[in-house]
Amino acid sequence: MSIKVVIAEDEPLMRERLLGMLATAWPEAQVVAAPENGIDAWDAFLEHAPQVVFLDIRMPGMSGLEVAARIGRQAHIVFVTAYDQYAVDAFDAGAVDYLLKPLQPGRLERALARLRDKLERPPGDVSAVVRQLAAVQPKREKLKWLKATIGKQIRLIDVDEVLFFQADSKYTRVVLAGSEALVRIALKELTGGLDPDRFWQIHRGTLVNVSAIRAAERIDAERMQVLLRGSSEVLPVSRSFTHLFRE
Amino acid sequence: MWAGIAKWYRDWDQELQSLLLQPELAAAMAPGWRRKMGVKIALLTPVERQEMYRFQVTYRGAALWRALASLCLVFSVTGALLKLAYLPALPMSLALLGANGVGFAMLMAMITVWFNHASYARPGRRIITGVLGVILLGTVYGAAVAVLFKDGSWQSFRDLLPKVLTYTGIAMLVLIALPGFLLATVRNRHYDLLASQLTQQAEQERLARELSETRLRLLRAQIEPHFLFNTLGAVQQLAEQGAPRAAELTAHLIDFLRASMSDMRCEQVPLRAEFRLVESYLRVMQVRMGTRLQVRLSLPAALESTPVPCMILLTLAENAIKHGIEPALHGGDIAVLAEDCGDVLRLQVVDSGVGMSATPGNGTGLQNIRERLRLSYGDAASLALSEAEPGLAVEILIPRKTNA
Repeated sequence: MSIKVVIAEDEPLMRERLLGMLATAWPEAQVVAAPENGIDAWDAFLEHAPQVVFLDIRMPGMSGLEVAARIGRQAHIVFVTAYDQYAVDAFDAGAVDYLLKPLQPGRLERALARLRDKLERPPGDVSAVVRQLAAVQPKREKLKWLKATIGKQIRLIDVDEVLFFQADSKYTRVVLAGSEALVRIALKELTGGLDPDRFWQIHRGTLVNVSAIRAAERIDAERMQVLLRGSSEVLPVSRSFTHLFRE
Repeated sequence: MWAGIAKWYRDWDQELQSLLLQPELAAAMAPGWRRKMGVKIALLTPVERQEMYRFQVTYRGAALWRALASLCLVFSVTGALLKLAYLPALPMSLALLGANGVGFAMLMAMITVWFNHASYARPGRRIITGVLGVILLGTVYGAAVAVLFKDGSWQSFRDLLPKVLTYTGIAMLVLIALPGFLLATVRNRHYDLLASQLTQQAEQERLARELSETRLRLLRAQIEPHFLFNTLGAVQQLAEQGAPRAAELTAHLIDFLRASMSDMRCEQVPLRAEFRLVESYLRVMQVRMGTRLQVRLSLPAALESTPVPCMILLTLAENAIKHGIEPALHGGDIAVLAEDCGDVLRLQVVDSGVGMSATPGNGTGLQNIRERLRLSYGDAASLALSEAEPGLAVEILIPRKTNA
């Protein structure tokens, strides 16, 4: 049985190396995507729902830690880092899997053996360690304002007033109470600038403001939808995000 | 008993000396008059302590007594000559006694002036009242003594007073006040000179210390383990593929390591060397980052040997990578430029990365460069950041004459 794997690493040679070594050391692993930044990594996760994600810690867009925080317990996470004694200590203490760059075959095999054992069980919770490490990382500026062109006007939108964002090919539909606009940024690129505790990803193409959610309701055994305050639209929740609404 | 006194004197002498060198010792002394004196010494200015120390070292033990004896001899001879020339009626013993008395009084006065020079050189009401007071007291005392020798009557005391007042006044003026003012003026100049020397010395020491600290910081900051491990990983991968670029990347890495290690030992390097260092670093990063990084370097031949503080361009290039290009989703380009602007050399590192607003970092690298520019050129050099569209431009201006 093949295991779906995503490898996120920004340096091409490192990416190739991990891909090459994985191919020999773990033939069952099927690498479905090898994104080169955090935003694409998150998007690849949403698209492929892999069982295992290798995350470089330092990446543009979103750091490996930020991506891990969003993935939560939905996949087994293996961090990859070149040198960060602090992170390594935290990983060891929290029993989190990690690989050190440059990758050495012996170490990789040991890590993979441990990982294969874990695959039998549901993914462990890395959030505590990730939060602890994210607290000492320099903070990325969160998005406060958006610029949207409406006719000849450029409108400034306060991010907090947005009810939800919806992907529309290369654009993003920004819906507010009583109005909406289209911005020239792909949704996945907006994601990194938004606070994950404030805007929940409920679908690959939808980010919703938590305070705008009136209710979530079950459609059948697997599907859910979200009802909003200030808008009559009903937003579907994809299967991998129904856990957000579990009591 | 004599040996006991000698030992006590030696101890005290020793204690004074160590106090003059380390005034903070006074706080640890046992209470008593010696401690009181120690506290006084600790209150002196560094210049005064230095002088006192020198005096003590020169005139200790027998030397002090020899100096006093020779002074006594000078006063006695002067007194005897004055008596022979102007005062034949005065007995010789009184003349010698008087001359020594006046002489040592003058000496004491001069020593007082020496250590209170600042207030004596400044003409003010306090000094004038002081001098007048001493003259008056001397007059009254002199007149009283004269009257006692004569007849002891109140009348003759009043008759004598103006005459004694004039003589005492003149004597005070000639023997104490004038030389005192002169000495104080000379002493003031001397003191200021010494004080500025001391400040200069302290400043130089501080600069030397700062320089070595900067060097240490450089040493620690430069070859980041992150950089080294990632680069070695890239070398490993290329080598495994059998790619010729493995050798090329290793060569760049060797250039970078060698240049950065030798540059850490000198404060200034020719611009050519600094550019080579930056180039090897950027080439390494280019192999690692692939198409995400473009690099442009421009150094006019005429500027190649212009000296610059070492590693400043490298620090800027590293910042551009770390805070500009690496966090940018699609990478960008970096330009490192040198330009001759007449009296000043203009260095620029421009990157098209994420720019200032998104740049997290504590700015120690820039702080470090600012500090080193200030140490080397004072206010004549500058470092300025400006937003580029997109990205960040850092500009350094360095005066060229200072180093010509």
